[in-house]
Amino acid sequence: MSPTDTDTVMDREPREEETAQADSQESKRKSRRDVLKIGAVLAGATLLPARKARAQRIVRPRPKIFSGFNSSAPNPGAEAITRLVRRVTHGITDDDVQRARQLGFTRYLEEQLNYTKINDSAVESYVSTTFPMLAYDHTQLYNLDQRMVFDQLTRGTFYRAAYSKRQLYERMVEFWSDHFNILWDKIQYLQIPDQREVIRKHALGKFPDMLRASAHSPAMLAYLDNTLSRVNRVNQNYAREICELHTLGVDGGYTQQDVEEATRILTGWTLRNRGEFYFDPNGHDFGAKTFMGRAFPAQPPSVGVAAIAEGEQLLTFLVTHPSTAKYIATKMTRWMLSYDPPAAVVDAAAAEYTRTGGDIKAMLRKILTPANLMAAPAKFKRPNHLIVSTVRSLKPNLTNQARLAFNYALYLGMPYFQWDDPDGYPDRVDFWAGTILLRWNYANYIATNNSDARVDVARFRTVDTPDGICTAISTQLFGGEMPATLRQQLTAYLSAAALTEARVRDALALAVSSSAFMYY
Amino acid sequence: MTDKLQHDCDACNEYNELSRRQFVGDGFLLGGGIVATALFPEWLPKVVLAQSQVSSRDILVSVFLRGGSDGLSMVFPFNDPLYYSGRATIAIPRPDSSNTAQRGIALDNTWAVSRPLSPVLPAFQAGELLILHATGSVDPSRSHFDAQKYIEVGKPRDPNVATGWLARHLATSTPMRSTAPLRALGLSDGLARILVGAPKTLPISDPANFGLQGSAATRSERTNWIRNNYTGVPEPVQASALDALNTITLLQNLNIAAYRPANGAVYPNNGFGRAMRSCAALIKGDIGVEALHVDIGGWDTHANQDPLAGSMFNTMNSLFGSLGAFWADVINGGYSGGVTVVVISEFGRNVRENGTRGTDHGRGNVMFCMGKGIAGGRVMVNTWPGLAIENLENRADLRVTLDHRDVLAEIVQKRLGNTQTNVVFPDYTPTIRGVTK
Repeated sequence: MSPTDTDTVMDREPREEETAQADSQESKRKSRRDVLKIGAVLAGATLLPARKARAQRIVRPRPKIFSGFNSSAPNPGAEAITRLVRRVTHGITDDDVQRARQLGFTRYLEEQLNYTKINDSAVESYVSTTFPMLAYDHTQLYNLDQRMVFDQLTRGTFYRAAYSKRQLYERMVEFWSDHFNILWDKIQYLQIPDQREVIRKHALGKFPDMLRASAHSPAMLAYLDNTLSRVNRVNQNYAREICELHTLGVDGGYTQQDVEEATRILTGWTLRNRGEFYFDPNGHDFGAKTFMGRAFPAQPPSVGVAAIAEGEQLLTFLVTHPSTAKYIATKMTRWMLSYDPPAAVVDAAAAEYTRTGGDIKAMLRKILTPANLMAAPAKFKRPNHLIVSTVRSLKPNLTNQARLAFNYALYLGMPYFQWDDPDGYPDRVDFWAGTILLRWNYANYIATNNSDARVDVARFRTVDTPDGICTAISTQLFGGEMPATLRQQLTAYLSAAALTEARVRDALALAVSSSAFMYY
Repeated sequence: MTDKLQHDCDACNEYNELSRRQFVGDGFLLGGGIVATALFPEWLPKVVLAQSQVSSRDILVSVFLRGGSDGLSMVFPFNDPLYYSGRATIAIPRPDSSNTAQRGIALDNTWAVSRPLSPVLPAFQAGELLILHATGSVDPSRSHFDAQKYIEVGKPRDPNVATGWLARHLATSTPMRSTAPLRALGLSDGLARILVGAPKTLPISDPANFGLQGSAATRSERTNWIRNNYTGVPEPVQASALDALNTITLLQNLNIAAYRPANGAVYPNNGFGRAMRSCAALIKGDIGVEALHVDIGGWDTHANQDPLAGSMFNTMNSLFGSLGAFWADVINGGYSGGVTVVVISEFGRNVRENGTRGTDHGRGNVMFCMGKGIAGGRVMVNTWPGLAIENLENRADLRVTLDHRDVLAEIVQKRLGNTQTNVVFPDYTPTIRGVTK
């Protein structure tokens, strides 16, 4: 079977609520006894860490911490450095580790945060030559074959994730692309300006700027139907999601009535000329509205285009609301640090949001501290993270990016720009762990194929013994921290038969298939 | 640690048993007499597990309509003028309309269904399809993601309840077949929340192609290597890995691609149709799977809904065409065991259409149950709330008068043989509504 045969038309699963966890301490306590009673029924539940035992979830406990990386840290600070590299890259490489150790924790983090100062000209010049459509505007893109546009968008995104030296920036591009998720099929070429002017422009900038750019983005307004919403003929789709998914969070304090009011405030926010933002006063509702207690008085229609100010005020209200600070902080902490983000870290990041006016870099500094990283359990790579991490560490001669960026992304369940719902691909181990067999098959492909993504196996055979090969794998794939058990298992596999190229490739496939490589 | 060892042991035993049976050969059916292979269609497993189904419990097929389906475009009170006044462009014409191509089909003097439901009418007429209306969650959330989660976990707004209700049903019931390596699967790219926490359960989007690729010469060596490597890693990763390895042989012995539905049933050739066809093959393959979950999207019809000829019309054709085929093929197709199908969505949509020929997020909705053990052939409502504006929730939405958990809990009790509904639906005492026979 090749991944092209795979059928992935099924629809998607919802995202875990970002804020539910933090809420309802009361209801947690209220039902604790029942929950424990229920828990007792279920035989074989893994023992829980004591801290969690008093309010445990039904049946399956929170995932245990994966603590398998075998630190070879030359000094106590060095282990935090490799952890930092794992979190801020799309896959650790020896080059990254060398660079980070040379600079030290803080300077490496600052280098990644101040990404515009990183010389990435080789990648950018390849991208601009190979994927010129990424720089086109909507008028140029509209007349093109949309399959070609999608091809360049997808391969360009994949290429930058894999090869850019601005790895933290690319990780945040991925994060915000999910946060402001848009399904390609519905808006097609409009996704290119959205990716460029909303996501990539502000990925490490200020959140309020990104939110405002998104609210003016033809792709977003069309994806969530606001382009169709007119006075007395409204459509609530965008107004609901800007509150629920983009800013306040579902428990952020707004009501159904507020959604209806926000919908009215945003009437007339549409597009014209096949992809240009346009406020249409003829579609705007000039009546009085109240959103979360804030009055928007009625205006005479003679106000005309100046009535866009109402919507702008709504955006300002949203980005300065404490619920937004908390929601964005929670989600960023989950992304960078832990599925179960520690309240203290979230609070610190939220306070930083408020203090700096939503400065994403400043928030990341609060999240990515050595202490936070040392306390954070490893996370499970999502499919595209896995694919890109193999490209970074195995360095295949990639003559056909499409095989990985389209076929295998689809095979593993994460095709670029193809998540239907506005919540973006889940960042949950529950959702992704079940398709592990497909990952082993991908590992086999990338390590053993002889065609368009060929790995130069000689890189791993400079010391051509089982032990020497394991050392090379540890250095290239695990930042020198391959778990001891894995090393024993790989050594055994390499020692069980003659060290042919096929055996070494099998061993590489197994290293990529291993549980340790699934985590970061 | 004990449970881990236990798990391993189980896995080994199952693996050995499978191998042993395989060794016994293709021409023999285990558990008694000698049966010639020729009696069996070629897609059936080469290896048949011990003790063919003796359980009286049904296999459950759970279908989730993602996006909030507009139930009033499926099943509607055709004598209510408010239905028509609220839906100027999207109402389904009355069954006596002169628009014969698009008019609804009357079920009785109150209810009619839109034409895409035609394929399930034979099941309805046979008394094996139950339509429930004004159902849904007690929680008023109009967020897709909250509402889906609450329905899938079986209790709204409780952060302690993170596993799926179907998962807890499986966890609290004895396996229908003790040796089955796989008790449930979702036909999807990731595990739906309804199954999160379930034992021996995997998302498998393509069960016809489930195997470890790469060199055949080293396959068994690599398989063992991976088994060792994943033993002891944190859940849910360990269980997923071991379940996957234990399932390979099972699924490879089923030739799903060659599966021929009974009764000439034809599944629509699209994602959902193929998934339902796979469900049929997995059920008839008699491999011990006791629950299957399938999602179908495309229901979030804010604009240009067009249930008469366009977007929603096509989505409904896919859904009901597949359900009709499944009924003919499996439920009415001579399959010896019981099968119950449940179809649900996170919420319904506004009673009145919006300004863009669509409908925004609403509340009460229609639900479907199908099976020989279902008391079907009727539309069940627990007090029809009506469409008058003063009777609508938030003056916009059909009220929920029937908690979906009543329907599901009765099925769990009566068709799936699990009395622990207090675990499956925590802190809820269901009312038995007579959904089952």
